[in-house]
Amino acid sequence: MPSVLLTDSISFELGALEPWPSDVKLYQPYEVEHILLQDQANSLAVQVFLRMCGLEFQVEMRSNAEHMSPSGKLPFIKCGAFVVADLDPIVSFIANKGINLTDHLDAAQKADMRAYMSLANNILGNAELYISWCDENVLNEVTCPRYGSVYSWPLNTLLTWRKQKQVTKKLTALGWITKTLDEVYEDVDHCCNALSERLGNHLYFFNDRCTELDAVVFGHVFTLLTTPLPDNRLASIVRSYPNLVEACQFLEKAFFQKPTANTTDGDSDNFN
Amino acid sequence: MASNPVMELEIWKGEWGLPSVDVHCLEVMTYAKFSGTPLKTKITNNPFKTPHGSLPVFQHENECLTKFGEISAYLRKNNHTADFELSPKQCAEAFAYSHLIYEKLVPALQFIWWIDSKNFIEFTRPLYAKLLPFPLNFYYPGQYEKHAKQLAMSLYPEEDDLSVIETAVYRQADECLCLLATKLGEKEFFFGQSPSSLDAVVFAHLAPLLKAPLPSAALQNHLKACTNLTRFVGRVLQRYFPKEIKDHEQAERKITKQESEYSDSEFPNKLRNISIAALISLVAMTAYAMSTGIIQVVPADEGEEED
Repeated sequence: MPSVLLTDSISFELGALEPWPSDVKLYQPYEVEHILLQDQANSLAVQVFLRMCGLEFQVEMRSNAEHMSPSGKLPFIKCGAFVVADLDPIVSFIANKGINLTDHLDAAQKADMRAYMSLANNILGNAELYISWCDENVLNEVTCPRYGSVYSWPLNTLLTWRKQKQVTKKLTALGWITKTLDEVYEDVDHCCNALSERLGNHLYFFNDRCTELDAVVFGHVFTLLTTPLPDNRLASIVRSYPNLVEACQFLEKAFFQKPTANTTDGDSDNFN
Repeated sequence: MASNPVMELEIWKGEWGLPSVDVHCLEVMTYAKFSGTPLKTKITNNPFKTPHGSLPVFQHENECLTKFGEISAYLRKNNHTADFELSPKQCAEAFAYSHLIYEKLVPALQFIWWIDSKNFIEFTRPLYAKLLPFPLNFYYPGQYEKHAKQLAMSLYPEEDDLSVIETAVYRQADECLCLLATKLGEKEFFFGQSPSSLDAVVFAHLAPLLKAPLPSAALQNHLKACTNLTRFVGRVLQRYFPKEIKDHEQAERKITKQESEYSDSEFPNKLRNISIAALISLVAMTAYAMSTGIIQVVPADEGEEED
């Protein structure tokens, strides 16, 4: 069976010939009781990106979304005959159809944008994983109940244990497992500082027009602000950068105007 | 631990004109040069006694640090920084680009060094076997290979085939090199005329890739094609590590001189050896011929008749 990573490039070439279908679906875990920090951040990023491009889609929630995804990453979209997972492949897929948000950027700005996206994914994404799976408090009170909520016993215990092993292995390989919680918070603070410096007093990162970077930062900031955790230090760190919060609120009003059950938590005014 | 008033760094030895073969050691050494820190380097080639089983290890007073982020933060606290000319926005960019390298280039470097079988067997394992003392040279290369494989597997959990992961990882690394080349442009350093922490990080990751004699060199060739990055690496080496370049050139000259001397030295003896060999063979053949009677030496009076 051809691999996902190689067929991506083939499918993009084939997909370029077809226009955007009207029945595109975005698959993610259940919003209210199942989804975890990093998956929610990624899902919101993809949703807001698709809305920025003016592309129609529907959100479908499935308990086995993670296992349906071709590369294991969430969210994934089903577009006609193609299934594409994770933001970067989705952006490339849509770019092949001639739709992208970075036409107004020159080469140096594109390089800057990719660098800041790496920063956000590396630090905020891995911090979300660390806090979900390596902090005992959050693991026992939030992550295990949520991850196992869609399965019956003993499957919920086994699958949660297996996922924890997988995440711990990844964080070990990346060198995050040796960090203390304080160091993780410090890294998040440093990252938010860098993003805040770049944003300045604008609402978008580049040329007052939205790009993938705005989508990624929106996904992470919104998730960190609106997810209740036993220790709210993450939310307070993000809140200490008012320009990031303001940009996030602006994007939420602009692209998620109708509070539907499918998209956000419905807590559009939950930035307290 | 005894308090150490001098800043000391334990590192891996350098080869190919570089001050060290290891990326992390190079990061710290280059940052120290850029920030003017009086850092004393000690070539130990021995990760056995280190806190985390890896080099470099930075020691000063009672501090013992191993990660570049921690070491640069410590140096900054002690007023040794390479980023004093950068605006806050440029500092943010430096931070972002460092993470671009960690996300997109580091997996490829790990792949080239430890997972690519041709490179591992013909280049990496012999290199570390030479550097490490016995019996550590049986243990550490295997450990590093295992870590590299774990990194590759954890980044692509649904893929079992390493060659597919290889393609994806190299594609990301190519993209990263192009982005770095775009960012550097025709400037001397990434943020103008003087080097910063980002220059240290970029140099540390590109220099081994550029200078190592890798058998399987696809990414190395792509880097060589980015001429501004190649010139950047050469510039940093020439300005901040001139001694290592000179030592390397001297060592290379010595090796070629030894090789030519060895082949020259045969020539004066060759003729002598050939003539002695010819003489001996002539004497031996004559003696044999005489003993079997092919040649008869007939004395003046009657000799014995042969059968």
